[in-house]
Order: sequence, then C-alpha cells, then structure tokens
Amino acid sequence: MTAIIEAEGLTKVYPPSTKAVDDVSFSIDEGEIFGFLGPNGAGKTTTIKMLTTLSSITRGKGIVGGYDVGKNPNEVRRIIGLVSQDLTVDSGLTGMENLLLSARLYHVSDRDARQRARTLLELVGLEQASARMAGTYSGGMKKRLELISGLIHEPKVLFLDEPTLGLDIQTRSAMWQYINGISKEKKVTIFLTTHYLEEADSLCDRVAIIDRGQIKVSGPPSELKSQTGANILNVEVSGGRDLVSVLLSTDGVTEVKRAGNRYSIRMKGIDPSLQDVFHTLSDQGVKVVDAKIEKSSLDQVFLEVTGRTMRDEVVNPGDAFEMQARAKGRGN
Amino acid sequence: MIAETWELMLRDLKKWVRSPAWLFASLVQPVLWLVLFGNAFNPTSLIPSTPGGNPASSAVLQTIFGGSPNYITFLTAGMLCFLVVSWAMWAGGPLVMDRSLGYLNKLLAAPISRTAITLSLLLSSILKGIVLSVILLVVALIIPGGLTFSSGFGAIDLLGTFAALTLLSVGFLWLFMMISVRATKFETLAAIGSTLGLPLLFASSALLPVASMPGWLAAIANVNPVSKAADIIRYLIIQGTLSGTVMSTVTFDFVYLGIFAVSCTALGIFVSNRGLRMD
Repeated sequence: MTAIIEAEGLTKVYPPSTKAVDDVSFSIDEGEIFGFLGPNGAGKTTTIKMLTTLSSITRGKGIVGGYDVGKNPNEVRRIIGLVSQDLTVDSGLTGMENLLLSARLYHVSDRDARQRARTLLELVGLEQASARMAGTYSGGMKKRLELISGLIHEPKVLFLDEPTLGLDIQTRSAMWQYINGISKEKKVTIFLTTHYLEEADSLCDRVAIIDRGQIKVSGPPSELKSQTGANILNVEVSGGRDLVSVLLSTDGVTEVKRAGNRYSIRMKGIDPSLQDVFHTLSDQGVKVVDAKIEKSSLDQVFLEVTGRTMRDEVVNPGDAFEMQARAKGRGN
Repeated sequence: MIAETWELMLRDLKKWVRSPAWLFASLVQPVLWLVLFGNAFNPTSLIPSTPGGNPASSAVLQTIFGGSPNYITFLTAGMLCFLVVSWAMWAGGPLVMDRSLGYLNKLLAAPISRTAITLSLLLSSILKGIVLSVILLVVALIIPGGLTFSSGFGAIDLLGTFAALTLLSVGFLWLFMMISVRATKFETLAAIGSTLGLPLLFASSALLPVASMPGWLAAIANVNPVSKAADIIRYLIIQGTLSGTVMSTVTFDFVYLGIFAVSCTALGIFVSNRGLRMD
C-alpha cells in the first residue's frame, strides 16, 4: 500500500511557547480509515488544521497525496475534503445549493456537480429535502449535508473532525454507517478525529491515541487492545482465603484487586489467561459463585497509555489556547 | 479566480434577496434622513414664505446650495453617498459570520484564491448599493417637494452618478473589509459603524455645503471622499450639462475618488490576504 498522508515530527507552537502538537509522526495508507483519538483539546483539531493547510506548521513536515502541505498548499487543497466539527452548512441556501456551491469551488462541471449531488443526497437520505433551506434542517440532517458537501468534488482524502459531535446516538450510528459506506464505495482515505472510542473501534482500520499533543500509541484497534488493553475478570468465590498472590502468579494476570470474596483480575488476553485463572481457582479448591468478564476496549487502552480516562477531559495549556481560539471563532 | 468570485458573490446575493428584512433595514435610515431631516432641517424653510415664492429663498438656494431647486434635491446626493458608505460598513458582515460559524475554514481549505473571498463580498455589496441607490432615487423623486433633475440631466449624467457612487463605495468597502477580516464578532463592525457613520456624514458636504462650515470642519470635509462624491452627483443632477470650471471641478473630484478607490483596493487586498493567511 502507498502512504497518502505522512506526518514527520509535526509540531505546532502558538506564541510565545504553547505547544499544541508535539513531534507527531504517522503514516496513513491509501483507502484506510484512520482514527485520531483523544480527549477534547488533545491536539486533534490542530493536527487536522495543519494537514488541511489551515494552520502553519511550526516544525516537522506534512505530506498529503505526495504534496508538502507547507510548500504546495494549493495542490493539497485540490485533493482533500474537510468536514469540520462545526455545522458549516449555509443556512441561507438550500441543500442542493450548498452542494453545488461546494462543487463549483472545486471547479467540478455543472453537469457532474448536479449528478454527484443527486447521488450523494440519496446516499444520506436527503433527496426529499434538497430544495429546502438548510436552515430548516435538523442537526443530524445538517451533519449529513456537511459530510456529502465534503465529498462532492471526490477528494482523495477526507478529513473529518469530530463528525458526530453533539449528535444523538441514533444519528451518530447512522453517520458512522455513511462514513463506512462512503469509504468503501468511493475508495476515499478517511482521517477522522473523535473522542467516541467505541465507535472508532468498530470503524477504523487503524487508530492513534493523542494526548497533550503527543501520540501515545497507534495501530489497528484489535492489536492495541490485545497488546496494551486488558480484559478484566470479576469473580466472586466461596471461602475467605486471600488468593491475590496465587492469582498474580497465573500467566497473563497483571493485576488483582480484592474486596472480600470478590476479585477483580486484570488479564493481558482472554485466551488462555481465562482458562488458567479458572484452573488456579479450581486447584486452590475454591468454588466460583459468580463471574463476569469485561472485554478489552480502547477506553482501557487509553487509560493504560495516558493514566486517565477519556471522560476526564483534562486540557493541557496548549489545548486551552486551541479551545479559546475556537470559542473566539478564529479557529487555529 | 473569476469563477470562484462569481459563485461566492451569487451566494451572498441569493441570501440578501431572500432576506427582505435586510433590504428594508438598509433603506430605512437614508429614507428617513431624506424625508424627516430633509423637511425638518430644510434651511430654506427658515425664510418666511410669500405668495409666489420668496426671492430670498431662491437666492439662498442659488448662492449657498449651488442652484439646487430645493433642499431635498441637494440632500439626495448626500444621502446616496451616505447609503453606500453605511452599506460598505456592513459588507464584511458575512465574512465575520462565516468565521464565527466555521464556514470560512471550509472556504480556506478549498483551492480558491483568498482575494475571491473578499472580492465576492465587495462586488455583491456594490450591486446591492446600486439597487438601494435606485430605490432611494425613486423615493426622493416621489416625495412632495422632492428631487428635481435639471432639464439637461441625461443617461451620461446618471452613469456619472453611479460611477461616483461606485468609486466611493469601493474605497470604503475595502477599508471596512480590512477590519472585517480581523474581526471575530459582529459587534465589532456594529461598534465601528456606529462610531464612524455620523462623523463621516457630518464632516462632509452630504447635509450642508462646505462653505457654511467653520474652517476646521470645512478642512476635514474638503478631503472627505463623501464630499467629493456628493459634489459630483449634485453638479450632475442640478446642472446636467457640465462645462468650464464645473467640468474641471468634477474631473478633479473623479480623479480624487479614483485615487481613493485604487489606494484602498491595493491596501485592502494586501491586508485582507494577510488576514486570511494560515496562523
């Protein structure tokens, strides 16, 4: 596979010395769905802004579609699509007009633009509403319109910045389906940021977790979960003996917490650790009264690599700058 | 760049046409000035009327108001200028809105010229200004004791009127666009507009001739581009056919407005493009 996005030591420093993105490197292959995960203000949007030519790069290099973002911004702009986290459809235009305007800004011929607009509107179920003013759309409809307006010029790479932020669960689920469908159907490379880890888990070919401007870990979700994440077995046993040290000596067990007869056993993998734990308990002559397994998730991976949960939403000083700038409407 | 400018200009015009409230709001002030101020503060109304018309009144109009048949005719030229200048103050409004809503980033991430973003708003504002000016001219014509064109007023004079308004508009549009490019809030434009609007009007020949002003104010009014445009339009409306000294005054004023428009355009493009650069 050929890399279509490459970041080498990408760094963004806001004056005087606020580091929003710190020496970030990754490579994304053509056709991949790459998830850039992290809490609010981790540096996700700043990274997207650098790669989409909206923000200058302080240090390092970004290559998109073979073009250096810093040296050939116009070439990069021709091959990318951007769907930001804000609702940026024009409320004063109809759905169709929004799409046609987007197409014309990318010099798509009128005939092609209309044809593509009809296909895309149908794809996201907006064909009936295409003649209505976008201002009358619901939030979910606006997001869908926004998504397809980023696709109307058939970009090679689509940047989606928190595409489902603020949407209800049903609409979010539908959006992920559209994104997946579009990626497969249009063979578009998708770079998406989100802080919904479970959704990224099911959609992305590969993910990178960014926190405080630095990539903590990256790889396919299944690999990250098996390498870094942990499965937790919660068991309740008979008898009052302390089994912590015995359980800790079992292969694959990394941590054991005890509360009376209840044990929370953290394991690297499920198989064969699970069997080994039950063998250990059986060998000790203990009867398992209740058992529940919590499978490894990206949330756990995040917790492990950052020491925090995504829900902590801790913002570093650089991120605070980013968020303030966004609140001011400047973006960054 | 032309195609992108055209598309973005159409976007702005479509939204304007679909918002009659904006059209109404932008016309209210100049029309009220024309009708209320034009009647309430009409200097010739201070002269007692006599049957068959007071010769003193005609003399005032002849000597002070450049031979204008009535004060509303004199004021109409000023109000046309006031209209395009106050409209220019809001021309960058859509840009500020686009920035705060995130739409500007969408435009900046597209392969379009930065100048197209500002130029499109500028062109649509000029067109809006022309439409509003025509409406204002019609209002001035139909109100009692209103605008009276000279018998020599023709198509060329009408063209000259709109040329002067366009040059004035271009200059102020770029000046305010430079502010809009940096502004993050609509309130900034409102504050600047309300602060500068009336001083620009009073320190010009829009309401009264410069000759009637104290020296210091006349000095400001003489360099105010609003005065130059208002004077050109007055000469064209009141005198129709131009010749001799009047012709050279009008030519000078046109050159003055041209330099004002070109300088503001050059500066405006430079500053606006810098304002829309990557941070």
